[in-house]
Amino acid sequence: MVLLQLDPFLNELTSMFEQSTEKGTVWVTLKRSSLKSKVQRNKMATAGEPVEYRCLIRATNGKKTISTSVGAKDHQRFQASYTTILKAHMTALKKRERKDKKKAAGADKKEGSKKP
Amino acid sequence: MVYITSWDEFVERSAQLFRADPDSTRYVMKYRHCDGKLVLKVTDDKECLKFKTDQAQDAKKMEKLNNIFFTLMSRGPDADVSEVTGKEQTEAQPGKKGRGRKQ
Repeated sequence: MVLLQLDPFLNELTSMFEQSTEKGTVWVTLKRSSLKSKVQRNKMATAGEPVEYRCLIRATNGKKTISTSVGAKDHQRFQASYTTILKAHMTALKKRERKDKKKAAGADKKEGSKKP
Repeated sequence: MVYITSWDEFVERSAQLFRADPDSTRYVMKYRHCDGKLVLKVTDDKECLKFKTDQAQDAKKMEKLNNIFFTLMSRGPDADVSEVTGKEQTEAQPGKKGRGRKQ
């Protein structure tokens, strides 16, 4: 299990997606963690110190696992990059073509121009 | 495995599950490009909710859900989520627009 910094993690995640295009899966897990043992946490709670929570993110392609930990101040930046990576790679999913899904603004406009 | 058919129900129940036990709840995403399938799972090791799809529009909805989880996890379960768009607006606000004072 490789623990990386934010940016290297994102780079590795991108290459994982690229490598599993023809075959394979990418799993991404999100979990909250303070990265401290229960004993330490209890001590901190009783001592009145605020326990700092971070978001643990793990990614694997079945063979290799990478992980990173994101705190409240990095989370915005990570979120933006993560969303970009996902959007860029999840291209194999089907596009909705049904007319009943009018919430999709693009589809709505197309239908508007087709119908007389 | 509990597969939820409605996206909104999945989001609602996942958020509830997380708020009830933030330390043991995790969110897992599995993507297979060769099959064109995406599966989401939220579990606290007692109860498990899953959602599967092959639709591109669900990927967009999932992005919003990711944002929600990121906020909840890094800021704490009591963080104000407001479907993320509300949150982003309140953060972008300081001093620039809406106050009306142009001098």
